[in-house]
Amino acid sequence: MKKHDNFAIKIDWLLVVLYAVVVLLGWLNIYAAVYDESSGLSIFNPETNSGKQFIWIGISVVFIVLILLMDYNIFTIFPYFFYGLAIAMLVATLIFAREVNGARAWLEFGPIKFQASELAKLATALTLAKYINDYNVKFNKLKTYFISFGLLVVPIAFIALQPDPGTILVFSSFLIAFYREGMNPALIIIGIIAVAFFLLTLLVPKMLIIIGVFLTGFLVIGLAAKTVQRAFLVFMSMFIITGFVFSVDKIMTDVLKPHQQNRIKVLFNPNLDPQGVGWNVTQSKIAIGSGGLLGKGFLEGTQTKYDFVPEQSTDFIFCTIAEEHGWIGSFILVVIYMAILLRIIMISERQKFRFTRVYGYFVAGILFFHFMINMGMTIGLFPVIGIPLPFFSYGGSSLLSFTVLLFVLIKLDAHRNQIITR
Amino acid sequence: MKIKQSMLLRVRIAFLFVFIFGAAIIYRIFDLQMLQGSKWRKVAAATSLQYRTIKATRGNIYSDNGSLLATSLPFYRVCMDPTIAKEELYKQSIDSLALMLSRFFGDRSKEEYKRRINDARRSKRQYLIVNRLQIGYQDKKKMEKWPLFREGKYKGGVIFEKVEKRFKPFSTLANRTVGYINESESGAGLEYSFNEQLRGKHGEALFRRVAGGSWQPVFGETEKRPVEGLDIFTTLDVNLQDVAESSLLRHLQYHNADRGCVVVMEVKTGHIKAMANLSRNAAGYYAESYNLAVGQHGLREPGSTFKLASMIALFEDTNIKLTDTVDTGNGIQRFYKEVIRDHKPGGYGKITIEEAFAKSSNIAVAKLVDAHFGLKPQRFMDYIRQMGLTEPLGFQLKGEGLPKFPPQQKWSGITLPWMAYGYGFEITPLQTLSFYNAVANDGKMMRPMLVSSIRRADKLEQEFLPQVMQEKICSAQTLESVRKMLEGVVEHGTANNIRNSHYPIAGKTGTAQTLENGRYAKKYYTSFVGYFPADRPKYSAIVVIDNPKGYNQYGSDVAAPVFKEIADKVYARDLEMHPPYYPVPMVEPGFPVVQSGYMPELFEISKQFGLAYKTPIAEDWVKAQIDSAAIDWKPRSTEVGRIPDVRGMTLRDALFLLENKGVEVRFTGHGRVLRQSQEPGSRALKGSYITLTLG
Repeated sequence: MKKHDNFAIKIDWLLVVLYAVVVLLGWLNIYAAVYDESSGLSIFNPETNSGKQFIWIGISVVFIVLILLMDYNIFTIFPYFFYGLAIAMLVATLIFAREVNGARAWLEFGPIKFQASELAKLATALTLAKYINDYNVKFNKLKTYFISFGLLVVPIAFIALQPDPGTILVFSSFLIAFYREGMNPALIIIGIIAVAFFLLTLLVPKMLIIIGVFLTGFLVIGLAAKTVQRAFLVFMSMFIITGFVFSVDKIMTDVLKPHQQNRIKVLFNPNLDPQGVGWNVTQSKIAIGSGGLLGKGFLEGTQTKYDFVPEQSTDFIFCTIAEEHGWIGSFILVVIYMAILLRIIMISERQKFRFTRVYGYFVAGILFFHFMINMGMTIGLFPVIGIPLPFFSYGGSSLLSFTVLLFVLIKLDAHRNQIITR
Repeated sequence: MKIKQSMLLRVRIAFLFVFIFGAAIIYRIFDLQMLQGSKWRKVAAATSLQYRTIKATRGNIYSDNGSLLATSLPFYRVCMDPTIAKEELYKQSIDSLALMLSRFFGDRSKEEYKRRINDARRSKRQYLIVNRLQIGYQDKKKMEKWPLFREGKYKGGVIFEKVEKRFKPFSTLANRTVGYINESESGAGLEYSFNEQLRGKHGEALFRRVAGGSWQPVFGETEKRPVEGLDIFTTLDVNLQDVAESSLLRHLQYHNADRGCVVVMEVKTGHIKAMANLSRNAAGYYAESYNLAVGQHGLREPGSTFKLASMIALFEDTNIKLTDTVDTGNGIQRFYKEVIRDHKPGGYGKITIEEAFAKSSNIAVAKLVDAHFGLKPQRFMDYIRQMGLTEPLGFQLKGEGLPKFPPQQKWSGITLPWMAYGYGFEITPLQTLSFYNAVANDGKMMRPMLVSSIRRADKLEQEFLPQVMQEKICSAQTLESVRKMLEGVVEHGTANNIRNSHYPIAGKTGTAQTLENGRYAKKYYTSFVGYFPADRPKYSAIVVIDNPKGYNQYGSDVAAPVFKEIADKVYARDLEMHPPYYPVPMVEPGFPVVQSGYMPELFEISKQFGLAYKTPIAEDWVKAQIDSAAIDWKPRSTEVGRIPDVRGMTLRDALFLLENKGVEVRFTGHGRVLRQSQEPGSRALKGSYITLTLG
């Protein structure tokens, strides 16, 4: 009896409340996004997106209760089993899934549709947490890099075959947790530099970039390079960057599909193709921009309803908030999301059990990437990549998987004192 | 220690990252909404303006006496511009308005309505949907008297948005004939065929998109007003249609048949009084899903009903008489490699031509036609053409099935004998009926007609007068012979089961085997076509029942009884077919006839001539009845917009009454009105004709 009481108290209610607020707001906004006054359908009507979302909220609550009642050891002992299962389902997806919009992402069991990549996120997070939890695993050994990256690359490879670029990007958020656990930041820095130069190449003539790189390079060597090795390193990187800059075109044309190339180009030049590729972002900006400080009021938005903004209840759901509730509403939503992210980091940091901490960072990373890419896309900062806003966008599969992801952390956190005494 | 510091730094970097990004988003939205806000709002306003069509009110479809067969009912959505009303007016009305709205719709409280309207007024929203429920016209009338709403659109700000719904007062009656039309302007029946006239001309106006997916009109000079649709007046008789439909349905169900149709036509005019088409759907119910009488899928080999055409050709081209005999042998006759059989096992032997027709001998007609026209088949076809059977009818409904006859160069030796009894070509039931109707109409073939006029309100836009297709399909002598034969079919032939002592019927049964994948299956296409009363034909009709199952599969057993049922009802109802009832009972022959007329005048006459009468009643127009040897006065209704009963009146009175209604009067004979061509109580249409028979 006493044990049970303890458990109830240890649940991080602040996070649970924040979660509930976001889910509720999301549900109301899904209703607003597809609201049609003359249809007269209520928010609960299962024919509407909001009604379906309501059912999924109910299912999510069932899962929350199950997770909280389960033995937490299931998550700490069996990750490899989940991992295997997830990989098997990814393979099954490639074999059985129907092609929709050029991708095979959904497994269908009769009326139930399921994205194996959602399970893969959870399973990979738990597996890597278990692996890193091992006392011998340290990010100063090459073996650690090999195994942890290996575990990460396998699901990414299968998802790349679907293909689902949004989810692959989300998987790269795992590096944040690696970094927290001691990974050399050089990898992340190199990655950021690569992306920066990639984008720069699209904006600025190549020769200009290369001249700039060489000038800076020689300046660094002349002023800051104290040893020959360092000078050599800088010298080498100058050439690598030059090579990279020249291969950007090739990456653009060979790796990215035409529509993906356009989505990137349109970022810098929204007027490139306002009726085509630029349409989504322009409409999204119109919706947000017409919201003003206070917005037009609940259910009063005009741009998000009907066909102006595409995917109003899934990927572009944020437009509804911005249009109907204005800057104030958007501000509050962003603050709530930041609160959730920071709370998760805080929870992770208070763990004495490394497993939970690593897992917590994974959760934070996944949510952050979703939040960043989705928001960035709607306000025209990032290219259009179709991934949902966590807990907020319409879609049962995504709501359920984010819920499970979060509540496994809450469950592990609730037992933080028991786990360490094991 | 160093590690711990490093970790702390990393955590801080993570925090920082989240912060920076959050701030970036918030700034970006600030940029979009505040700094660039007015630009985006302008763009939004531009994209939400649009020219949209204002639909014209669709015209009505009426029956022959002005009953509504299809109409567009208006429904309204209550909206308002809460910013229009002046402050003082608004203040004193809003409470009572909110209360009445709350009471009427019952979905929100008074306070909620008040708050909604107040909020919209305060935030200067010019368009508020008060309630999305659509209200009827009567409710709209009521609402127009409510506080604030009674000030109208420009002072009170109320907007009633009209939404139209097509409504058929008689529900599924004549469903397929009335037809339907869908959004893409495809459809069937009258709605489709006369869509051009019914639709009217859509208008156009500038609209602004508002929340909730609605469009609010922006008033201005750019508005193009819609032109309302025209009304279609059909020749359909609602009561007859009802009789035809219910009778057909009952028999289809009884015989478990696949489908069937009934068409009733007025002999003199070619007006179609009833047109019923029922097919069994996948669920096993009968419904009006296809117009078999007219449409292309109604094309069939007619079978024995076509023998009439063969006989007419024979009578015209040769000098055979009804009493001539023909040898039908043992009921099996070989033509080249094929065989024609008669219904009776063992055959009819040697019989007269009249008998052969009455018994529907296939062999007799095939032999006769083959003997006379075998060497000159072209001539036979000329007669068929003369009877108007090879050409389309030019019917008013779109999608008429065109007759299919084999081209002459493809004829073989058996084509003619088979054609003689109705095989080897296809025509629609309506064509067969028009042909029989011509026989009933003394040889004059009328074009079948469903729409008699097109009107805008009471104004005649277009009138369709009865049209003659063939002045004479055959000689009077031939006509006399074939009419005798047709009467014989009911008197002592295949259809003697529908013979009755009240009125004579003339007609012909048909039982054709159905061609399925090039072979004749054991499925029958039964029909009965004829007219009644045979001596003074008023109506002709055809009944088709396709693929009846069970023991009875002949036209006489399946289709003829439906014909009889319909004819009985029509006969019982139609006073014109009861000659003994005319004239209206009158008072003491020999005295000045007091039948019907202007009350003061009739009263004066009665007084002057010393006739016994009862106390006059306070009516202008009366009819007289004898009640215990005295004249009793009964009011004669002269309802507004309806044809009055002028029977028994003098021509002067009748003219006065009828012409006051805007009806044009034609008359024949002398004396008092015996008959009137438009039934009393039917809708008085301005410019329509009424023929009075005096006597």
